[in-house]
Amino acid sequence: MAHFEIKNLTFTYPTSGGKTALSDVNLKIERGEYVTVCGKSGSGKTTLLKHLKSVLTPHGDVSGEILFEGKPLSEVDLRQQSSKIGYVMQNPDNQIVTDKVWHELAFGLESLGMDQKTIRLRVAEMASYFGIQSWFHKNVSELSGGQKQLLNLASIMAMQPTVLILDEPTSQLDPIAATDFLNTVRKINLELGTTVIITEHRLEDIFHASDRVVVMEDGKIIADDEPHAIGAYLKEQHNEMFAAMPSPVQIYYGVDNELECPLTVREGRNWLSDVLQDKEMKVTSLVKKEADMDDVGTPAIILKELWFRYEKEAPDVLKGVNLKVPKESIFAIVGGNGTGKSTTLKAICNICRPYRGQVLIDGKRIEKYNSAELFKGNLAMLPQDPQSLFVKKTVGEDLAEMIPDGRFSSEEKESKVKETAEICDILHLLESHPYDLSGGEQQRAALAKVLLTEPKILLLDEPTKGIDNFFKLKFAEILNRLKERGVTILMVSHDVEFCAKYADFVGMFFDGNVITTNTPNRFFSQNSFYTTAANRMSRHVFENAITNEDVIELCKMNR
Amino acid sequence: MENKDTFSGYNPLITFLFFIGAVVFGMFFVHPAFLVCSFLLAFAYHITVRGARGFRLLFGMLPLFILLSVVNPLFNTYGEHILFTYFGGRPYTLEALFYGMAIAAMFVSMMTWFASYNSVMTSDKFLYIFGKAAPAVSLVLSMIMRLVPNFRRKAEQITAARKCIGKAGSSGTKKEKIRNGMTILSTLTTWALEGGIVTADSMRSRGYGSGPRSSFSIYRFDSRDKALLAIMCILVAVVLVCGIMGGAKAVYTPALFISWFDNMYTAAGLAAYFIFLSIPTVLNITEAITWRILRSKI
Repeated sequence: MAHFEIKNLTFTYPTSGGKTALSDVNLKIERGEYVTVCGKSGSGKTTLLKHLKSVLTPHGDVSGEILFEGKPLSEVDLRQQSSKIGYVMQNPDNQIVTDKVWHELAFGLESLGMDQKTIRLRVAEMASYFGIQSWFHKNVSELSGGQKQLLNLASIMAMQPTVLILDEPTSQLDPIAATDFLNTVRKINLELGTTVIITEHRLEDIFHASDRVVVMEDGKIIADDEPHAIGAYLKEQHNEMFAAMPSPVQIYYGVDNELECPLTVREGRNWLSDVLQDKEMKVTSLVKKEADMDDVGTPAIILKELWFRYEKEAPDVLKGVNLKVPKESIFAIVGGNGTGKSTTLKAICNICRPYRGQVLIDGKRIEKYNSAELFKGNLAMLPQDPQSLFVKKTVGEDLAEMIPDGRFSSEEKESKVKETAEICDILHLLESHPYDLSGGEQQRAALAKVLLTEPKILLLDEPTKGIDNFFKLKFAEILNRLKERGVTILMVSHDVEFCAKYADFVGMFFDGNVITTNTPNRFFSQNSFYTTAANRMSRHVFENAITNEDVIELCKMNR
Repeated sequence: MENKDTFSGYNPLITFLFFIGAVVFGMFFVHPAFLVCSFLLAFAYHITVRGARGFRLLFGMLPLFILLSVVNPLFNTYGEHILFTYFGGRPYTLEALFYGMAIAAMFVSMMTWFASYNSVMTSDKFLYIFGKAAPAVSLVLSMIMRLVPNFRRKAEQITAARKCIGKAGSSGTKKEKIRNGMTILSTLTTWALEGGIVTADSMRSRGYGSGPRSSFSIYRFDSRDKALLAIMCILVAVVLVCGIMGGAKAVYTPALFISWFDNMYTAAGLAAYFIFLSIPTVLNITEAITWRILRSKI
């Protein structure tokens, strides 16, 4: 008996005007399986997952059947469903109910009306299994994003569910916390035999762990197979989803060969060695056209020995930061979590005032600018949470808010708004409420809003957080377009792959300082961990392959 | 702070009952001996909880005490012994002065007890006490306590984000400032409501509302808690009886009458009151001494 069986499920949202969100979905999930569901934004992944739990199922026209352990889901009562089916959502903050960690762990058990003794035991068990003992008595507000999501998972596991459904659980987390989280999920699947159904944009960590991968498009399942076989199918179909596959898979299908498809970096390395086994290495590095760091003229932003801390007794966050951002370039700063990258951006914006050091924008000290001058036509920052920028009921109104009434007529206003909306590809979204947009669309709408101040320097704080690969490509296009218009872009990111592909310069932030700055080519070739998957896979043969395309090209050149 | 204070390590119910007792009794007894007890022991406890910093409160209270005692006779003109007259015949009486000092002492000790209460009684302890009676209410309170700092932080985030696109709002006419504040409030509300939907989903997904709730508490009721509770109850009973029987009677105006130690109720009541209020201080000091002894044995 399958754990979940979905038969001919069709679903339409009431306000979508006839367009089906799910069309004739058939899916069987066995006990203990680890199933990954992937697809573009809007392909119906979340809708499908929400149907697996009655309390979360959205309203609308439903036809078809969902069986849980052989019984129709609608017949399984609320208590049973709550304890047997666990659901982890995307946003770590909003899922938490209480203010203390221990109370949150006990929340689910309290709701089930269990007695003190049982609750005490289960809470203790879960806290030990997840390693939460050290922060058991803390306030929830003191936890990091990764810890919060782990707490959510622990709180659900305390109810001892038989199936765990996770809806993009790591999209708001930094890569290290994300890997930790996904490893914990894998551990749960292997050690406890819990069925896991997970949807993610970042497939690197879960692809090799999955028993099956299900690909969705436009509400239909277009592929449902083992990870090894999925790559072949998508490549054959020239499907867009192929770009979301992990690097080893993409590289494998870029090169003609008959070997087995590698899923991890390790398998990729072995595969690469096998493919180039008897060949003589003619070319081991690519000649790349790169910008020259020193030949730039006045840098757009200069930071001289910035020192900053949030409170008098707190430790220093910025310890003498030195940075020069060349004009009309895309400059990326990478580094671990909590090292001070966002604080650097805030210091450039003058939100955080450093107690020592200078910030020079366009050669002029930042204190000499008054606030109106600084943010209109000069500098603008896109915050980490783009939602914080939206204040009106429609995207159009939000964009119109940026243009002051006095100076422009309403036609001019409209044309300006339309122009910027076109650059950011959100023309079709101008009438929607900002909160109804997906993550990638919100990012672009927020960017449009920022661009209406016509900045010469654009600061981006984690622009690719929670965005799927397609939006990343579109976003990169927009950034390049802006660069051509003469905008300098400084971005802070955890996304090593994105920076490797699109940045002109990369700097590494560590211990309150920018340690080193270089072109992506030289920067990532030198690192062994802090680099792209393609680089890690090919380090032993190629010197400076950073992106998937680099590896494929070098392979072809050597065959 | 919690590590230093043994008394707060006991079951929160005991801590809470103690403070209720201290405050209620303090408000009703105006007998000078009782007031002195309350004042001294409130400070003693405060210092054991806060350490040397507790003395700062003492120095802050002193001017307040003087002010209150001196001001009272200006409003209360009853009394037999007139010290001097002012404003053409308005008497400034000794009895009124004494009464003022009594009220001031009461006020000061109450404030000190509340200061200690603040340091000792945390939100989850408070919730524990009411959780048993009304688990739903205690859950709502716990949610409020999470949301309030959250909202504050989000409002700061929104303000900072708007500043970075040139909508600082800290300059401009009053009307503009108000409008800016309203915008931020409206954004915060929208964000909070949207987040609330996710929280509601998360709660229902974990079985909220599927049936009667139980309430989990991290505090136990040990044998030492039981013993202390018993002692406290006895002492409170004694003090109550003595109070009812007039042991703490003190009248200031128009004529001074203070029941003195020849009245056995006064003596017994005072003794019980003193012991009751000294419980936390004694517990803390005993523990400190025990540590010293244990350490010296190493």
